[in-house]
Amino acid sequence: MLVLSRQKNETIMIGDDIQITIVDVRGDKVRIGIVAPRSVKVHRKEVYDAIREENIAASQVDENALSGLADLLPPGDDTDPKD
Amino acid sequence: MKIETTRFGALEVGEDDLVTFPEGLLGFGQVKQYVLRDHGKGPFKWLQATDQPGLAFVVCDPMSFKPDYRVQITQSDMDKMQLSQLEDAVVYVILVVPSDPKQMTANLQGPLVVNPKNRSALQLVLQSEEYTTKYRVFQDAADAGASESSSETGR
Repeated sequence: MLVLSRQKNETIMIGDDIQITIVDVRGDKVRIGIVAPRSVKVHRKEVYDAIREENIAASQVDENALSGLADLLPPGDDTDPKD
Repeated sequence: MKIETTRFGALEVGEDDLVTFPEGLLGFGQVKQYVLRDHGKGPFKWLQATDQPGLAFVVCDPMSFKPDYRVQITQSDMDKMQLSQLEDAVVYVILVVPSDPKQMTANLQGPLVVNPKNRSALQLVLQSEEYTTKYRVFQDAADAGASESSSETGR
């Protein structure tokens, strides 16, 4: 990991198109401003990781997992049970 | 076109059934094309990858169990999908369905937004921390007073 020190209002460039600016430092909380092209996703890592883990867990679903369930939730249209 | 799937065998799918995720799903960024198939007459659908036979997800409309669910989407994400209004989009959430399906959870923090006009889609990472990645569809919906009488959660 590259570690740089910055003070408030200083900026780091990543490549030609991404800028990270220290907007505010207050106690142990740092407010970080990011300028990036819209093709680059920017997220707090723990949220990103949580979503990715849920996707991976969800992908392990068994094709019979839903047997008998369709009638337990209020359906959008009619209430016929699954065949 | 015909696709191979491990859960459903060979499927015939039409162009109109295809959904394209230009960025893929988180953790599955290389897989861009899926097909959405109904699961019976209920609110569940299968999101099956078209060229990864083993990759599929159960999804559903979050309004079917959480009618007050609201998605915030940035203009930049709307532009990526060429979505002019959020009202035009169809929102799904991915479900983790364990062996006891009544324990299923919905990822409300990473919804899928589909533009039905061009069948382009994105998985959003919601900035707000209001929603959980593990919303218990049956227990939490029952707590919110949205249940029918027939849920068999024994005590």
